Amino acid sequence: MSRLFVPDPPGEETGSTEADVVIVGGGPAGLTAAIYTSRETLGTILLEQRQCGGLPLTTDIVENYPGFPEGITGSDLVARMKDQASRFGTEIVEFGEVERTDRENDRIVVAGSGREYQAGAVVVASGSVPKKLDVPGEEEFVGKGVSYCAVCDGPFYKDRDVAVIGCGNSGLQEGMFLLDYVRSVTFVEFLPEMTGAKILQDRLRKREGTTFLLNHALTAIEGEDFVESITVRDRETGEERKVEVSGVFIYAGFQPNTAFLQGVAELSSDGYVRTDEEMRTSAPGIFAAGDVRVKKIRQITTACSDGTIAALSASEYLRDGRSKG
Amino acid sequence: MALQEIQGKQISEVTSASDRISVVDFSADWCGPCKMIHPVLEKLSDEMKDKVDFYTVDVDESQQEANNFGIRGVPTMIVFLDGKEIDRMVGFRDANSLKSSLESLATAKLD
Repeated sequence: MSRLFVPDPPGEETGSTEADVVIVGGGPAGLTAAIYTSRETLGTILLEQRQCGGLPLTTDIVENYPGFPEGITGSDLVARMKDQASRFGTEIVEFGEVERTDRENDRIVVAGSGREYQAGAVVVASGSVPKKLDVPGEEEFVGKGVSYCAVCDGPFYKDRDVAVIGCGNSGLQEGMFLLDYVRSVTFVEFLPEMTGAKILQDRLRKREGTTFLLNHALTAIEGEDFVESITVRDRETGEERKVEVSGVFIYAGFQPNTAFLQGVAELSSDGYVRTDEEMRTSAPGIFAAGDVRVKKIRQITTACSDGTIAALSASEYLRDGRSKG
Repeated sequence: MALQEIQGKQISEVTSASDRISVVDFSADWCGPCKMIHPVLEKLSDEMKDKVDFYTVDVDESQQEANNFGIRGVPTMIVFLDGKEIDRMVGFRDANSLKSSLESLATAKLD
């Protein structure tokens, strides 16, 4: 099977570029979709706002991705995925923000930063970004004690006391990483129970230097030039207390990157894309995969699964003359 | 001038010697976003070669200076003019947003 369209040479700053499939986002979902569509010999352009990688780039060690019994760093894992997609012909383009997605006749237009791409099918795998808590001090102390990336910033807190906000998988995993450097980690969880994997909870409870404040809300981050303390409120008693820490690592959930889909495809009230089991959105020819979807489980493995299904559904959609969507 | 790797102790020398804006990126090879920002800095060092100099410092090799500059995370980019810090950016920035910030600082310098 030959390519339906061959992407224009990269490097164009303006104008419209044609492809069979445009993939928005270069995390595990987007890269997996790219591997599959490229292997279907569909001309594939992957638009990535940053460098490829997605959230795994800010993860230390990935221990639950099959095939790597010793674990693999998040950045190495996605680098391998990127090489694999490129090997099969995916054109990876560094792109600014996607500002618009429209349908023009039987083509779907993805536009932003003065550039425009047209494709027969689009896979949205734009992921999500860490949610900010909007508590006093959070914005002010970014880079001065407030962090969303333990792997990037943890080593700067050697022998200090830090707090991790959020006890889901990310918070617990990164807290574990931090314990290799810091003196103590105070875990603060808004809910009455931790939601992260039981194995991580068990490992952390056995570690020295861990404190768990469950059913507590972070209310403020304080300091002079750098973070010196946080204030938390016990949600049951209403009692507030100050905890002296030099660093605050926030893992309080994520918000999806879907502004460009407003009014185009059906979104949930919190902005995630609704799809069916075949990853079809409400807009014909637009598929979604990975963390950006409405779903319960968000793991690298499930992102790859979504990417696979979205790619093969997109391929089928193109092959069937756009009779499905 | 291409992105230049320097030691922490050279920061003062290179940023004072130039009357242009200098960007010093504090990075580490174990940090994903640092790997993401390097190609961006390479690109901008070419596109902005007539007005901005770009340097990168490995925080593991220059721990003392990273500490002196109050680095609490990587990547951190400090913008210098006449050897003095005039701006600081923490975390990944895409090429467009970083270029736009630096253009504004370069324009302000001319005013």
